[in-house]
Amino acid sequence: MDGAFRKIDIDAFDEDVLQESELYEADSRDPAQVLEEVKARQTSVRSYLAKNDVPGALTAILENAPYGPNVEDAKTISLQTLLTILNSTKSTEIPNVLKALSMDSQDTLMKYLYKGMAMSGWADSNASVLLSWHEKLTEIAGTGCIVRTMTDRRTV
Amino acid sequence: MSNVLRPYLAAVRSTLTAALTLENFSSQVVERHNKPEVEAAGSKEVLLNPLIISRNENERVLIEPSINSIRLSIKIKQADEIERILCHKFTRFMMQRAESFIVLRRKPVPGYDISFLITNTHSETMLKHKIVDFIIQFMEEVDREISEMKLSLNARARIVAESYLTAIST
Repeated sequence: MDGAFRKIDIDAFDEDVLQESELYEADSRDPAQVLEEVKARQTSVRSYLAKNDVPGALTAILENAPYGPNVEDAKTISLQTLLTILNSTKSTEIPNVLKALSMDSQDTLMKYLYKGMAMSGWADSNASVLLSWHEKLTEIAGTGCIVRTMTDRRTV
Repeated sequence: MSNVLRPYLAAVRSTLTAALTLENFSSQVVERHNKPEVEAAGSKEVLLNPLIISRNENERVLIEPSINSIRLSIKIKQADEIERILCHKFTRFMMQRAESFIVLRRKPVPGYDISFLITNTHSETMLKHKIVDFIIQFMEEVDREISEMKLSLNARARIVAESYLTAIST
């Protein structure tokens, strides 16, 4: 007797089962277009950093951050760009920089901080920087910021 | 607490506090069942994004929140073979007695050394900040405990070797 059919998850075939795509509004932009935008932003961030304008650089990278499936390359590039900003900021400047950000940017920054920590292999060089930014951001934006990171399905 | 460890534990503390917003939620599939959704993983909408906090490659915490339960897994620092054995024995000892720890899971999540499962019943019957304190204190102490055990193991090995070899030399 073959009992394999008993292991089939019949609920997945229900007609009103919840799909991944129904949880959040998909990004209307084309993956290639998103990648272009991220690369353009990378250069603008460099010019902001050359002028020593950290809040401007952070706002530039955190607005319209790529999310959803099919844009892995764009996500990696924005994370790398963000890490260069974070690494080049002095720890005494962090609170003022964070206060200058809008609430949405703070939430996106929190998402990137967790993503940065989750990337295995990258963590060694960046962990202490990410942790100190995380601490400062939690002080300023509160635990609500972390809750929004957990609940927002638009993962960066 | 050392200065290196503090930001790591602060991050775990704030994330855990944020994740511990649990409510009673019965199963959507089976009537009159009530199971921790993070373990059952029956539907996507009740599971939240898992978060990882890492201090370095070998020390990290995974927090998987859901509507009525969270799962927290810790990877403990293991620098060498002795620490690996000690850590294995130590976590095994506790996980065999999981029911007296209440929130401890009997098996760790793959890739981690020890896991805790906190459900809404726990957060209702116990004080939330005390649960957070317990986890943080555990993380603080487990490193210290293992390095202490390693030292006493080395000291004991030295004494044993010494007395064994004096018996031969005379």
